Amino acid sequence: METTAGTAAAPTHRRRRRPGLTTPGLLGLPVSWLIVFFVVPIAIVAAYSVDVFVLFPGPHSFTFSAWHSFFSKGIYFPLFFKSVEMSLTVSAVVVVVAYPLAYYLALSGTRRKYVLLLVLIAPFLTSYLLRVLAWKVILGDNGVINTFLFSTGLRAHGHPLSFLLYSRFAVMLVLGYVWLPFVALPIFVTLESLDRGLLEAASDLYASRRQAFLRVTLPLSLPGVVAAFLFVFIPTVGEFVTPSLVGGANGYMYGSQIVDLFEQGFPDWETGAVLSLFLLGVISVLTLVFVRFLRAGEARTA
Amino acid sequence: MDVALSRNGRRVMRMFFALVVVFLYAPIVILLVFSFNKAAVPAFPLTGFTLRWYHEFLHNGSMRAALETSVIVAAISSVAAVALGILASVALARRGFLGKGLVATLLLSPLVIPFVVLGVALLLLFHILGVSLGLLTVASGHVVITIPYTILVLLPRLEQIDSSLAEAAYDLGAGPFRTFRWVTFPLILPAVLSAWLIAFTTSFDEYPVASFLVGPRLTFPTYLYSALRFPSQLPQVIAVAVIVIMVSLLVIVLAEVLRRRAEARLEGA
Repeated sequence: METTAGTAAAPTHRRRRRPGLTTPGLLGLPVSWLIVFFVVPIAIVAAYSVDVFVLFPGPHSFTFSAWHSFFSKGIYFPLFFKSVEMSLTVSAVVVVVAYPLAYYLALSGTRRKYVLLLVLIAPFLTSYLLRVLAWKVILGDNGVINTFLFSTGLRAHGHPLSFLLYSRFAVMLVLGYVWLPFVALPIFVTLESLDRGLLEAASDLYASRRQAFLRVTLPLSLPGVVAAFLFVFIPTVGEFVTPSLVGGANGYMYGSQIVDLFEQGFPDWETGAVLSLFLLGVISVLTLVFVRFLRAGEARTA
Repeated sequence: MDVALSRNGRRVMRMFFALVVVFLYAPIVILLVFSFNKAAVPAFPLTGFTLRWYHEFLHNGSMRAALETSVIVAAISSVAAVALGILASVALARRGFLGKGLVATLLLSPLVIPFVVLGVALLLLFHILGVSLGLLTVASGHVVITIPYTILVLLPRLEQIDSSLAEAAYDLGAGPFRTFRWVTFPLILPAVLSAWLIAFTTSFDEYPVASFLVGPRLTFPTYLYSALRFPSQLPQVIAVAVIVIMVSLLVIVLAEVLRRRAEARLEGA
């Protein structure tokens, strides 16, 4: 299909002389920038992970020992799954909360939908670090919530709700808060582009609202839902900023471990490189599967 | 009958929407309230109104220096990212070439890289090259992060405008640069501005990658992070947080208004 359309359109274009920069001239700078500052650095990480490069100079040779200890040592793997679990929970909750918001904006016929969308998304566009900081102020043992409870007498002085800060709960709450506005966007876009005629057809065929939703709207909005899910999952699974500010020991995540391997008193760049590459691998596979899923969906509707 | 929502459903959803908006803005409002609170520890009960923390922020040289550093880094990296993004988008929108899918994948792939991995990778690169860390190392990382954003904004706009306009300019004897300057560029200008704004604010606010790549001159987010270790600095940090958040909200609203106006003008033309 694609090739015939391509050749049919091409001649009119090709006959014209193409003035200006050549294609390599256009692509040269952006592509080489990404090769130098993106592809090569990742290759260097790979080189560290097999000891081609090492942090402390000395006799060394190519070895998989860092990879071996990653899989056998029993600290990094459980930590990875803990992060995946936290991140999956956050993504799922956030998508479930965002779906009705997007649905309301896209399908309720409200005239101010773009204004409301902006109201929803605006917090996402302000400083990430400062929004996390706000929660640190709110959740602490002597923070806003606890001192409010003390001063209203709802809780006795000296008995704060201490699970609020430096816990898994805190990390998940803050991550959810940070990503919620952004997640509504892909869902809104798919719902907005939904053909209303389909819903009217469903209703003409005596479908109830629930049936129309379950059998028309929801399946058609699935690509947006999956996109939204990944948009949260991918950045949160490697997160280290929020855990370091509100996580404490319980909220320690895989990303925090990577940072510590590079920055703490006893750096171990080789193991850190393995952890980084493993995370990158998992996320690349997920992204590829998702892109395939989108393509398959497009092929089906076309 | 409205097939999407019943009357009750609409009411429930409107309430839910309002609740979520309250949840999203409450922390910001709380920061705002405590930035004017007299006590040095943000806690209830409130102890009285003061402008002291804003005043201290204004006289805090290192905090202002950090703000300045971030403006410089964001200015450099956003201009570079937009320039590279325009080149790449023109190629992707106007040219057919071998391996286009692969190039597009490369250009967009920074979108999905975990920032911690990018930070680590660039740290190792500069370590091996023997480059000492500073403003430019941070900026180079920010360019990588923001190139995909600029392409995502610019490419749809370039695909929207009629390529026969540029061809008409060529037929009338304009060279490629004159054509770009007087035909293509004005048509994509709103998109260029939004791409630049997104790149600038992203860089200005970026912490994870910068935390690996900053040298002795801290950027604003890295400065804030280090200031958080000292409780005595907290009230000032809250004051500056309020200023930064308010300014960015203002910029967002302003940008949206301007974008709409520009779009209306282009559609009218």
